[in-house]
Amino acid sequence: MTGRRTGRALLAGGLLLGTLLAAGCGVRPSPVITGRSAVSGPAQGIGLYLVAQGELVLVLRPVKPTTPTPPSEALARLAAGPQQNERDQGLTSEVPTGLTAAIEVTPATGRFGDLTVRVTGPTRALSPTAIDQIICTAADAAAQAGLVGGPAPVTIVGSDGAQPARRCPAR
Amino acid sequence: MTPWRSIAAQVSGLRVRLLLAFALLGVTTTAVVASGSYFQARTVILQQAQDAAVMALTDQLAKVYPVLQLPPTQDELHLLAQRLSDREGYAVVIYRDMREQGSLTPVSLTPELRQEVGDGQIAWQRVSQDGQPTLLIGTQLRIDRPDGTSQPSGLEVYSVRNLVPEQQSIDKLATRAWLTGGLSLLLAVLLALLSARGVLRPVRDLGRAARRLGEGDLSTRLTVRGVDELADVARTFNDTAGTLERQVGELRRMESDARRFVADVSHELRTPLAAMTAVTDVLDEEADHLPGDAGRAARLVSQETQNLTQLVNDLIEISRFDSGTARLALDDVDVAAAVTATLRMRGWADRVHADLPPAVVARLDPRRLDVIVANLVGNAFRHGAEPVSVRLSADADWITIEVADQGPGLDPEVLPHVFDRLYKADTARTRSEGSGLGLAISWENARLHRHGERQGSLVAGNGPGGGAVFTLRLPRGTTDAGGAR
Repeated sequence: MTGRRTGRALLAGGLLLGTLLAAGCGVRPSPVITGRSAVSGPAQGIGLYLVAQGELVLVLRPVKPTTPTPPSEALARLAAGPQQNERDQGLTSEVPTGLTAAIEVTPATGRFGDLTVRVTGPTRALSPTAIDQIICTAADAAAQAGLVGGPAPVTIVGSDGAQPARRCPAR
Repeated sequence: MTPWRSIAAQVSGLRVRLLLAFALLGVTTTAVVASGSYFQARTVILQQAQDAAVMALTDQLAKVYPVLQLPPTQDELHLLAQRLSDREGYAVVIYRDMREQGSLTPVSLTPELRQEVGDGQIAWQRVSQDGQPTLLIGTQLRIDRPDGTSQPSGLEVYSVRNLVPEQQSIDKLATRAWLTGGLSLLLAVLLALLSARGVLRPVRDLGRAARRLGEGDLSTRLTVRGVDELADVARTFNDTAGTLERQVGELRRMESDARRFVADVSHELRTPLAAMTAVTDVLDEEADHLPGDAGRAARLVSQETQNLTQLVNDLIEISRFDSGTARLALDDVDVAAAVTATLRMRGWADRVHADLPPAVVARLDPRRLDVIVANLVGNAFRHGAEPVSVRLSADADWITIEVADQGPGLDPEVLPHVFDRLYKADTARTRSEGSGLGLAISWENARLHRHGERQGSLVAGNGPGGGAVFTLRLPRGTTDAGGAR
C-alpha cells in the first residue's frame, strides 16, 4: 500500500520533470512574429507607374533635387516608355509612345483636387492598365507639385470624349 | 525469501521512506520553481534581444531614406546591404529578382517570413541555421507618397542576427537551475537524514528499553525529550515500568517478610522444644512403667516431639537457604568413605547395595553430602521398595551418586513437584514420617556446590526397571562462592 503510494508519487514527479524537459532548453525556433507596419520614408525623383506581371509598380527617376518637376514632365517620361534598367527588371508600359507629346495636366477649376488629363488620341484606344498608369502618375505628380491635397480623382479627356473620373488603384 | 524480506524491510523502513519523501519534495519544488523561472527568464532575454534588434534595424533603415532611384542598380543594392551589416549581424536586400547580402554566408529566408513581409509588416522569426540559433528580421521599404499614402518600393531588407550570446546566457541560466536543483536535493537528503535520526533515535531507545525491561531490569527508564507523540510514548513506558517495579518490589518484600517470619517462628520454637525434649526423654523412660493408655500416650507425645524438633530444624535450614546465609564447609573428602559412613551411622549398611569405587576424592561439604545421601536413601526406604542401591561414579569434573529402589517409581504427575516443599505425593496419606522438607533441603544442598560454570544438581526420574532413581551430580572442585543464591 505504502509502496504503491510512493510509486505513484515518483511517477508523478517523473512525469512533471519529463514534461518540463520536453519543453526544451536553449533557444528554440519560433513561428513568424509580426510587429507594426513596415518602414516608410520619403523619396526623391519623378515617380512613374510601370507594369510588371499585370500590376502597377512604382519606379523613381532620379532628378536634381532643387528643380521642381511639373506634372507634364512625369507624364512625358511615362509616355517615353521604360528605360533599359527597368526593362531588365521585367517592367513594361502599356501607354503608347505616340501619345506622349500631347499630354497635359490641368487642375480642375470647380472642385479643388480634381485633375483632368488631355490626350491627343482617342481614349478608347488605351488599355485599362494604360489608363491606370496615366491616372496614378498624374495624381502623384500633381500632389508632388502641390496642385492637389490628397488622392484625387482623375478624368482623362481624349479626342473621342472623356473617360469617367477615377482614382489611382495602386495602393 | 528471508534476504528479500530484509531488503524489503530496509527499503520500506522509516529512514528510507523519509529520505524518499524529502528528496521527492525537494526535487519537485526545485524543478517547478527553477524551470518556471528559467522559462520566464528565457522568454524575457529573447524578447529583449529581438525587440532591440528590430529597433536597431528600423533606426538604421530611417537613414536609408530618401530613396533616389527605383529600380536600384546592383551597386546601390550592394552598398545598402553593406551599410546595414555590422558585427552583430548582416543584411540581405532584395529587389524583385535582385539580391545582395552583406556576408558570404548563405542564408535561407523562410517562405512564411517572406509572406508576412510581403504583406507590409515588420516580421521576425527565430530559426536554426547551421545548428546556430539565428534571428531573421524582415521589412519592406515603403515610400511615402505626396498624397499622404505609402507605396511599397519593392525593396525588402532582411537582417540576419546570431543569437549565440543569448543562447550562452540561457545555457548559463540552465546550468544554474541544475546546480540549484542538485543543491536542494542534497539539502533535502541532509534534512531527511536529520529528521529520520530525530524520529528513529527515540524509537530505537524505546525498543532497547523494552528489551531490557523484558529481560528483568525493572529500573529501566527512558529520557523524555520534547512534547511530541514519541515523548508521550516514552512517558507511558516510564509510568508502566515504574508501576511494574513497584508491584514486583512489593511482592518481593512480602515474600521475604513471609520467609523471615518462618525463620523467626522456627527460632522461637527451638527453646520450648528443647525443654519439651528433655521432658519427653524422662517420659520415655517412665512409659514402660505406666499402665495402658497412659503409657501409649506418653510414647506418642515423645514421638511427636521428636518429629516437631526435626521439622523445626529443617525449617531453620531451609530459611538459611532462602536468606542466602547458607555457607559451605569445604574439605577434601573420600566420597566412598563418606557415603559408607553415612549408611553405617543410620544402620543401613547391610540393607543397601552399595557400589562405591574407592579413591574418589572431591572437594565438597561432607555434612551436606551426608544430609543429601541420608535423605535420598531414607526416602527410598520409606516410599520405594528394597533393594535400594547406591552407585558412585566419577570423571574429571563431576562425581555422580545414583540412589535407586525397586518400588513402583514416581508418578509422572508427581515428578515435577518432587522437590517442592511440604509436597504430599499421596493426598490420602496426611501424616508423613518425614518433615516433608527433606528432598527440598537435599536439592538446595546440591545446588550450593558450584565450581565456575558448573553447579551441582539433583534430578529425580524413573529407572528402566521401574523404580525411582535420584541422581546427584556435584562438581569435583567446589569453590566456596559465598551465598548460594
